[in-house]
Amino acid sequence: MRVGVIGTGHIARQHLSCLRELAGVEIAAVCDLSRGLAEAAAERFGVPRWFTDSRTMLDEIRPDVVHVTTPPTSHYRLASDAIQAGSHVLVEKPITVSFDEVESLLDQARDKNRALIEDYNYVFNKPVQRLLNMIESGEFGHVVHVEVLFCLDILAKGNPFCDPNAPHPCLTMPGGAIADFLPHLASLAHAFVGPHRGVRSTWRKRSDSPLPSDEFQAMVNAERGTAALGFSAHAQPDVFWLRVYGTKMRAAANLFETRLTIERTRGGPKPLVPLFNSLDEARAVRRSAFGSLVRKLSGGPGAYEGLWALLTKTYEALNKGGQPPVSSQQIQEVNRLIDDLKKPEYQF
Amino acid sequence: MSDVVGKPLKVLVTGANGLLGRSVVTALIDRGHRVRAMVRPATDVSHLHWPNDVEIFRADLRVSRELQSAFEGIDVLVHLAAVVTGGEEAQLAGTVIGTERLLDAMARSQARRIVFAGTFSVYDWSTIRRQLTEDSPLEQAPDLYERDGYAIAKMWQERVVRRMTQESGWDLTVLRPGFIWGKGNEYLFGLGQRAGPLQLLFGARRRLPLTYVENCADVFAECVSIPAAAGQTFNVVDSDDVTVWRYAGQWMRRTGKRGVRIPVPYSLATLATRVAQRTSKLIFHGKGKLPSILVPCRFEARFKPLRFPNTKLRTVLGWKPKFSFEEALERTYEAGQCNQPAAMATVVDSRTAFTPSPSGRGSG
Repeated sequence: MRVGVIGTGHIARQHLSCLRELAGVEIAAVCDLSRGLAEAAAERFGVPRWFTDSRTMLDEIRPDVVHVTTPPTSHYRLASDAIQAGSHVLVEKPITVSFDEVESLLDQARDKNRALIEDYNYVFNKPVQRLLNMIESGEFGHVVHVEVLFCLDILAKGNPFCDPNAPHPCLTMPGGAIADFLPHLASLAHAFVGPHRGVRSTWRKRSDSPLPSDEFQAMVNAERGTAALGFSAHAQPDVFWLRVYGTKMRAAANLFETRLTIERTRGGPKPLVPLFNSLDEARAVRRSAFGSLVRKLSGGPGAYEGLWALLTKTYEALNKGGQPPVSSQQIQEVNRLIDDLKKPEYQF
Repeated sequence: MSDVVGKPLKVLVTGANGLLGRSVVTALIDRGHRVRAMVRPATDVSHLHWPNDVEIFRADLRVSRELQSAFEGIDVLVHLAAVVTGGEEAQLAGTVIGTERLLDAMARSQARRIVFAGTFSVYDWSTIRRQLTEDSPLEQAPDLYERDGYAIAKMWQERVVRRMTQESGWDLTVLRPGFIWGKGNEYLFGLGQRAGPLQLLFGARRRLPLTYVENCADVFAECVSIPAAAGQTFNVVDSDDVTVWRYAGQWMRRTGKRGVRIPVPYSLATLATRVAQRTSKLIFHGKGKLPSILVPCRFEARFKPLRFPNTKLRTVLGWKPKFSFEEALERTYEAGQCNQPAAMATVVDSRTAFTPSPSGRGSG
């Protein structure tokens, strides 16, 4: 598989680091509007060609797969060009800035018989995959409810989202900075409770900043259960909670770390159940404390482990002609949820 | 050679409100040049007390649309700005994109001369023995990418400046300062590692490549108009030999910081970094990631005991520092005014970032 990567910024480094490790993958070219950044990425990752014009890259390289890792406002045009050039396309989230554009890309990919994949990296993190496997096997029971909550201090001085000197590209999107996180919230909710039937959301602004909103909460009524989604720029410390409530178990994971704790229904004397669950939780927390440190020191993908897993599965599927790990239907349903979360008529 | 040398010039200074930038603006004015100071849009310049004839040009090099007007009437560009905070990618992208956009604008102007702030960080410290000069080898791939974000960004910035200079036929002077120090940047990260009250000084007797900020600014102002500087690269360090032990002692005494200086032999410390690296690679199958100070090449770039002659600066430009180390100490700590020590100053502290952005979790 010959691969072209468009955009050589922060997230592109993760893509390139992973692609370099994958068997049967050749990074044929990188592209960036900045010649210096394109050259730097090519030198760092041993890529033979670099470009500053994406269409020239598509014409000259004819890549089998194109990764679009630029700011979101440019995704649609770049992904569309790549599909039209006959490439499979993996686009960083958010795939586009409007649902109409999502549907247009899906149509184009279907017409050209190309795979279109949006990066739902956290769905492929180990704790999430473990829970999904437990649900599939029946061990977890049926999922009743899921909570997905980001607490992230994006208002901190110097954070790129509220830089007074260089407005972040996401601020021009509906939903502003929080919209940049909605694909994570929506893709995780979708993974556990399926496509939504209705939503109610609230967007608030607590602090004076360039952000249109800095607090977000939503309730989602979905096919297999309910979901509570949230983003807080004020609640501290930083955490990315995923809490899943099933008919046999409940689980909590901090996806910024390796922490996953599970409480389960048990047999035996009822007064001892809380004791056993607490001991289990203590063991899991202790394990995660060391696990998070080891993950940092290991030199691996760290919190981007899900992206690496997604890319690995994607290339396995593309090589074998199988189904990619993120389907067109999934992209459509996740982005329909994101679209509804932003609609004024569903806000309270 | 540019025809603008030898007379009062109009100079555009990027990163003008940084530690070095403030002194460069003053040094240029003292020489009778006119200055257009580029600062970021949200910068408060009221405390800088520049003369009224210093023009303020507000722009963020990464994003501002109108950069060409910054060059109207400009003879010389003094380019000090770089992103010095935030993650590795933010430093690289901000520094490189900003420089490309700035020089694209310059290419559409009449300005023909650049004085550029490089850094000692671009040298290949691992292979240099005894003394570091302008002829010492520069860090190259793949080792470059083992270095910290600042070194990578500044290396690429210098490459971009040199390439665009060559393409446009400009006159370029590259000045690579050592550790810039002065009021506002008294503590140097090249001293060692602080651990509570303990000051671990790696190689306590080694000489520091110091350049007092006003001396350093003097070189930049000098190079704006001296024909002999065009096409040259100079390391900028002062003439006094100042050891780590002495500098740290002066810093503690004059700031009133309590603590104990602990000398740690350089050879022992560097051995510790190599052991840490070997162990990490062994445990993680060659892929381990260590705290920056334990990465051998980064440790060497901060602490390696070398000599840092300023022979070229003295012989080619006839330059000598305006202030001795003792005089610089008095100016830095006069009236008891000094800032809190910077937790981690950079080797070359242009401190005139396009826009700082702390490293941290993004949305990815």
